[in-house]
Amino acid sequence: MKMDFDYLKQKRILLVDDEQALLELVVSILKEGGFQKIRTAKTVKEALEISASYRPELAILDVMLPDGDGFVLMEQLKRTSDYPVLFLTARGEDADKFRGFGLGADDYMVKPFLPQELLLRVNAILRRCYKGQNPLIRLSGSEIDLDRAEVIKNGERISLTAKEHHILTALFRNAGKIVTIDALCEAAWGDNPFGYENSLMAHIRRIREKIEKNPGKPVSLITVKGLGYKLVVEEQ
Amino acid sequence: MKTLPKLIRRFVCMMLISCILLILLNLILFAACMSSQIPNRSPWQTAEEVASSLQQEDNGYVLPEAVEKELQRDDAWAIFIDDTSRQVVWQTENLPDTVPMTYSISDISRLTRGYIDGYPTFTGEAENGLAVLGYPKDRFWKDMWPSWDYHLIANLPKTILLALAVNAALVCAIYLIANAKLLKSINPIVNGIQALPQNKECHLKEKGLLSELAASINKTSEILQSQSRQLRKKETARANWIAGVSHDIRTPLSMIMGYAAQIKSEWNLPEDTRKKAAVIVTQSGRMRNLINDLNLASKLEYNMQPINRKEENLVALVRQVVVDFINMEIDDQHPIEWKTDEALSTCFVTADKDLISRAIGNLIQNSINHNEQGCHIFVQIMAENDHATISVADDGIGATDEEIKRLNHAPHYMVCDENTSEQRHGLGLLLVKQIAAAHEGEVTIGHSPSGRFEVKISLPSKASKRI
Repeated sequence: MKMDFDYLKQKRILLVDDEQALLELVVSILKEGGFQKIRTAKTVKEALEISASYRPELAILDVMLPDGDGFVLMEQLKRTSDYPVLFLTARGEDADKFRGFGLGADDYMVKPFLPQELLLRVNAILRRCYKGQNPLIRLSGSEIDLDRAEVIKNGERISLTAKEHHILTALFRNAGKIVTIDALCEAAWGDNPFGYENSLMAHIRRIREKIEKNPGKPVSLITVKGLGYKLVVEEQ
Repeated sequence: MKTLPKLIRRFVCMMLISCILLILLNLILFAACMSSQIPNRSPWQTAEEVASSLQQEDNGYVLPEAVEKELQRDDAWAIFIDDTSRQVVWQTENLPDTVPMTYSISDISRLTRGYIDGYPTFTGEAENGLAVLGYPKDRFWKDMWPSWDYHLIANLPKTILLALAVNAALVCAIYLIANAKLLKSINPIVNGIQALPQNKECHLKEKGLLSELAASINKTSEILQSQSRQLRKKETARANWIAGVSHDIRTPLSMIMGYAAQIKSEWNLPEDTRKKAAVIVTQSGRMRNLINDLNLASKLEYNMQPINRKEENLVALVRQVVVDFINMEIDDQHPIEWKTDEALSTCFVTADKDLISRAIGNLIQNSINHNEQGCHIFVQIMAENDHATISVADDGIGATDEEIKRLNHAPHYMVCDENTSEQRHGLGLLLVKQIAAAHEGEVTIGHSPSGRFEVKISLPSKASKRI
């Protein structure tokens, strides 16, 4: 399953790392992933200048930079304009991760990494942060308009309840991947969602009635026995 | 601090037992003394004997020779007072001149209770008179008014017990007061000694009765503290070294992994080249896991890893790990099957979520690494009364009994202090064991029901719920 959203590929990305070789690698990975608008910086100073003039929509930062640290840089970047930040660093300590997330990082990746992993995370952040521009989700038997909380099936608009919307949003963010029962319960009922498994099954049944051509034999919202559910989206 | 009251109790017991023993001993000694002091026979008995053996004959009274000899031996004299005349009608030859020969009733009463002219006298009753024995003045002392209050005698056992109790209490009080100071100086020393094995720092005041002892304890504590500081320093240095090396390797490895992955998916390159790139990707992935494991294992080994334990639903936690693996879509050769009973919805454990996820991830990754030709991996959670068991099994190449025995018992080279190259099983398993140990859990490596490889982690759990 491929989730290509052209509008996301147009996002401006700022990449900061002091290693030239790594910059080149990441740029080549991003370009292969379809991203075109990429600027690189090797120092905090350079990064701040580019951020001011280029107005990036996503920053990928290293933590250890020759003239400062990435955490401080993130705070400075976010002060001028609040765009998502992904840390890509060799510092794999939990304390560093917690610090990054605590300061408002959107994701934290520890080197070494696989190109595909980086692309998936970048796409996920962009989808999450620029979700105002959710496209229509095309399924085999219907389309979902998450912004308006509606399903369009056979030309008819069927509205989604709040819980169904939460569940579908969680599934769509991980489209093509399994989302655990527990994660879906958390999306619908908040923290510590214990004992909602049966309610979740009821909601899934109702969602299927709305989105599936044949709710008895679902093809878009699939059960993965014992583990969770998967939303299968048609290619755009 | 249970030692001191125990000590005091023991001392007080010993004190009481010694007191009772002393009293008994004294009584026995007293009795022995008295019995040795009292002559062969009581003077009252001798008087009775004289009275009964005195025979009236025609020319007066006659005392048998044996009795007379006995009197002579004791240097005693005797008289016989007639009932009707109250005159002395018989006397021994050694009767002192000062002894009167006629007695009134009051004289009789006095001589019975006490003395005649300073001679202690004892009476024996005869048919028609009274025999009176007189002993030398320094031979007996007589209690002339031998009478006590009736209640005093009736309550004597009680009184004695009460007196004993008062004595015992008094002894205890004296002991406690006398020892209060000693106890006061022992108390900090006992505390200090108890603090030593817990490796707590202790500094006692070096004064009072036991100042030398306090000084030794202070010295011992200092030595222990400095040794543990040194050890800690070394361990920190080692863990930092491992962390540093693994950090420095990450960036170069990123390059190897990244470019190899790109070459691998470059479709216009020859198949052979892409295959080689794929091997580099797989192997650098293994290196990445190794670095991560090495770092965490060294931190857990040297207690440098903060463990943030919270109440977690183990079912949700393990399910997420399994789903993450499936979602990574590594390959089709290692399908993971969720074997947990669907009715088991929650099972609470107090655990560090990241560490437990890491342990389960390691076990799944182990199965993948050791079965390149592919295998099914089975993950299951079983909840029992007070513990939960996570089982990760596979139907791959498995392991022989001997291998399993070695995995269960042979230490890993990282935690082995012997110079040997034997202990080289996976770092992943060591990490799983360390994580389980940090959660008071256990790891069992063995055969799965189908006879293949299975690792079980058992953790203490609070409660589980089924739907």
